[in-house]
Amino acid sequence: MTVRSDDLTAPAVGRRSVVLVIVLLAGLAIALRLAEPERVPWLQNFFIVFGSLLIEALPFVLIGAFASAAIEVFVPATAFASIAKLPRPLQLPCAAVAGMAFPVCECGSVPVARRLAQRGLAPGAAVTFMLAAPILNPIVIASTVIAYRGRDTFWVMVLGRMALGFVVAVAVGWVAGARNAGDLLRPNPDDQDEDEDEDEPRWQRFTGHLGTDFLFMAKFLLLGATVSAAIQTVLPQTLVTHVASLPVVNLLAMMGLAFVLSLCSESDAFVAASFTQFGPSAQLAFLVSGPMLDMKLGALYAGTYSKGFLRTVLFAVVAVTLAGTLWISVVWG
Amino acid sequence: MSEPRRWSPARLLAFVVLAAWGALFWFMLLGGRSSLYLSNRTRWLVPTGAILLTLAALGRLASARTAVPRPANRSDGRVAALMLVPVVVLFALPPATLGAYAASRRSVTSGGGVSAADISSGAITYFDIASALGNREAMQALTNREGEQIVLEGFVTNQEGDATGEFFLTRFLITCCVADATATEVRVVDAPPGGFPDNQWVRVTGAMYPVGADVLIDAASVETIPRPADPYLSG
Repeated sequence: MTVRSDDLTAPAVGRRSVVLVIVLLAGLAIALRLAEPERVPWLQNFFIVFGSLLIEALPFVLIGAFASAAIEVFVPATAFASIAKLPRPLQLPCAAVAGMAFPVCECGSVPVARRLAQRGLAPGAAVTFMLAAPILNPIVIASTVIAYRGRDTFWVMVLGRMALGFVVAVAVGWVAGARNAGDLLRPNPDDQDEDEDEDEPRWQRFTGHLGTDFLFMAKFLLLGATVSAAIQTVLPQTLVTHVASLPVVNLLAMMGLAFVLSLCSESDAFVAASFTQFGPSAQLAFLVSGPMLDMKLGALYAGTYSKGFLRTVLFAVVAVTLAGTLWISVVWG
Repeated sequence: MSEPRRWSPARLLAFVVLAAWGALFWFMLLGGRSSLYLSNRTRWLVPTGAILLTLAALGRLASARTAVPRPANRSDGRVAALMLVPVVVLFALPPATLGAYAASRRSVTSGGGVSAADISSGAITYFDIASALGNREAMQALTNREGEQIVLEGFVTNQEGDATGEFFLTRFLITCCVADATATEVRVVDAPPGGFPDNQWVRVTGAMYPVGADVLIDAASVETIPRPADPYLSG
């Protein structure tokens, strides 16, 4: 692969900046030890939530990066081309169902979907897979069952979440799939710069893709975790309960809350269940939109896909979830 | 191999970041800090992350010599520096858990994973009480055992308007990680005078009375304890 010209002109990292970064990091460590964050409750709260979001999500991103690198290096490109020949109305539901077999949270499905689209899977199918996997996988269904066990709304919540998740994933895949893969994906500069020569053995190319995929995703995850932890620290969760009785506004408020909290889809049912002032439709809005659209995912999408994609997903997820939950609120409240 | 292989700075930089994160995960695992961030169900992520990060770092190092090395540019450097900040923060941070500050802004637990049948026999645990809050059947099972002596460990949160000798005993219930924590609060009455400060971990022994949707403990004794090894209830 040829090296792009701006790499030759781009200034390399100098020895002085390396030393500067090391000194700054050491300074940060010393400052943290001296400052005793336990005396500042909000600061400590921020660090704990920030740390736990990262420690939980990073291994999932890494597992996703392993899967993604394996797809790139070991699966022949023709495998996806044959799936892409299927008619689109068939592809999208298949992709959503395939998500069931992929038991990872939303952070792991983003790098995999990106790689699938790069390898020739129809972009709409890749997007549907990415959105469906975190809602329809068995672990998430099981945790929703446990969170609502013994409630009157049990079946509405469990089946409603699965059905609505399926519908929204297919609908958004349909809308987003109108573009071709080149327009949809934002190029990862490292992919092009990768100083890969085709003579290298497969395992070396594997480690190369693994490293770049992980670092590429991790920096957006870092951004999302920082913002989410800050909001969790500042904003009382009980703030939204004031709008519980307002129709439509309550649905939007719960979607907004899911967006800023950035919970893992395997645990969000327990938090949704704690908002007892809200009816099942508002709790469903939280459970369906959250795994498809939240702060950390927003950062991941913005880094992975073209500019328009985030906007498309934002409008499509909110519109379809709103329409679905409105129907449910008419029937069940 | 026509060209000689040389170290690629861009690949070495990726190795440094992966290795630093790997070291952090080993530190969490061996230093027993996993329980400060993750629940029982997700704790497997720490050893998994440690091993995978180590493998990824070693793989990157082993393939860092290449025929066409690429210099690390400023953007590589910025990303690497950014990725090292949380590593340093989490290494340097003294072990800590959510406390009274978080209890005042997080939503309250409504139902854990314990069924009513499990509550009707055996010692009543904090997790049983968390499950009873917000679940009618489980609360009924708890009400059938009112007046029984129980022992609960948690930390103190004082709320405005609490009478002398009263405070809330609090414990956070987490499902995956601390970000999804919900507060489980039990009102303690008849505590020894003198008062207990916010965030002090205590062991309360006393008679348990479900009152409406809440649970109250008439304290026979309140003793201060160090923070338990598993500070969060895991759902």
